[in-house]
Amino acid sequence: MSSPKALSRAPVKGKTDGAKPAVGKTVASKPSAKKPAKAAVSDDASPTPAQKAAFLKAMAAGVKLNTAASRSLVKKKGSPFAAEAPKPTPKVEVLRRIPAPVKVVDTPESKTALALAALIEASIDARELGKVQPHAQQALVAALCKLYAAHAEAGERFDILGQRAATVAATDVMVMCGALLKAVDLQVFELGMWQSWSSG
Amino acid sequence: MAEQFVGKASEFKDGERQIIRIGEDEIGVFRHAGEFYAYSNFCLHQGGPACEGLTIARVIEPLREDKTSMGLHFHETDMNFVCPWHGYEYDMKTGAHIADPRVKLRKYDVVRKGDEVYVVA
Repeated sequence: MSSPKALSRAPVKGKTDGAKPAVGKTVASKPSAKKPAKAAVSDDASPTPAQKAAFLKAMAAGVKLNTAASRSLVKKKGSPFAAEAPKPTPKVEVLRRIPAPVKVVDTPESKTALALAALIEASIDARELGKVQPHAQQALVAALCKLYAAHAEAGERFDILGQRAATVAATDVMVMCGALLKAVDLQVFELGMWQSWSSG
Repeated sequence: MAEQFVGKASEFKDGERQIIRIGEDEIGVFRHAGEFYAYSNFCLHQGGPACEGLTIARVIEPLREDKTSMGLHFHETDMNFVCPWHGYEYDMKTGAHIADPRVKLRKYDVVRKGDEVYVVA
């Protein structure tokens, strides 16, 4: 058996590769003149609980209580915040109340118009375009054009498509607008001029 | 996690929303078709007020048998809510993003005890 003196003997210079540090103990070698920083820390050495606690304390320095940063530290084992940080008491505060969308008033005429719209959409889905003949479409478009303009003149402005805009393709809108302008012999520049002169 | 009293169901109209703060969490509580849903009010895109935008029925594009489009239509039951900042759209029932369901808003459980509504947060 070797004596305790022999065990604690410092490793012979040049033969240190085989020597392993004890588990859980810090590697504290004497700083050499050639490699002062690298020799002090081993790459695979895991920090001790005391080192972890010291690291967490250093991280916690300057962190305010009841912040996201402090809460993240509380979760860590051995954090100085674990005992110190008081648990925030949740309290419900109503910030905003957003009312339900205004309910539409369904008049008998509106119900008829909605039923007609559903019928037209169904005929498009079924590719039965002949169901609503051109003369009927002309009557519908003309009536809707007058109705919308009458509302606008009366100051009752509303979105022409509303949420249904999501279901109408931009191409469809351009085709329809172009056809409407052509029907009343208007050029696009005339529309532009009118829009620049008015609020429409 | 504790149940936090939010309000009375009788005072919460269908289609109405409440934006509440519990601790540091901002939560949007919805009532839709009689059911209550609660989600984090921070949009997953850029942190906008996700629960304060438009509520709109899901837009669907049914296909015919030959795979041609039947056009765009509203879904009859599925409802979405849209973040007002950049239009991130979430499903009302799950809080999942419409285009990528893997992306979900944080959902809070809503407990109803008689007429009282509680959010678990």
